[in-house]
Amino acid sequence: MPVIRNQIRELRGRREMTQQELADRIGVTRQTVIAIEQDKYSPSLETAFKVAIVLGVPLEQCFQYDPRGKR
Amino acid sequence: MFGMSKIFDKGATAKMTGLSYREKTLYASLAAELVVYGPYFFLHRQNSVNKVAGMIIAIIVLQIILQSVIAVLTRNRVTDERDRLIELRGYRAGYLVLASLMVIGLGMLWFHTSVGHLQLDSRMVGLHFLSAFFGMLVVADITKTATQIVAYRTAL
Repeated sequence: MPVIRNQIRELRGRREMTQQELADRIGVTRQTVIAIEQDKYSPSLETAFKVAIVLGVPLEQCFQYDPRGKR
Repeated sequence: MFGMSKIFDKGATAKMTGLSYREKTLYASLAAELVVYGPYFFLHRQNSVNKVAGMIIAIIVLQIILQSVIAVLTRNRVTDERDRLIELRGYRAGYLVLASLMVIGLGMLWFHTSVGHLQLDSRMVGLHFLSAFFGMLVVADITKTATQIVAYRTAL
């Protein structure tokens, strides 16, 4: 289980938003959105806040920290 | 109306298909490096200053052509924080390889000239050094590019 998990995929799906749309709105590439969703990349705090704002949810609903997780 | 397959693009996301602009340029760089430097190190036994200069010019020209073609063919040329992080990782790996090769190379040179019986022809010393240092730079550069390509496909 990774250290930082996220629910971006589910939240994005509920809003019928594509990976490319989310990427464009937060200023990253689609490949970075894919990597974040697959827990292969933990974004910067700035990008994490942007994701939460675009998806219209609090940050902790998007990202969760698991202290027992391993990267 | 969005199709669910587009939003949950399982096949594409699972394999991380669709290369970003940076990834395409990295694959092009690696191909150019292998095509240009490969023959220099594996086919020619006699190296010269002219050959080294030719390699440098060839790699610059080939890189300009390939990068221009990729830039024209790629609509979305956005780079982001992940690209910058991967770039730094590549440079770190390249630097470590370069520093290690420098220490090993200088150590071997010292050993062969001091302890061993290597007699370097004074006219050829410069060419030997040029060839060795050029080789180290090439290996470090290829390491940098390859590290970046691997980093795009693995977790950061």
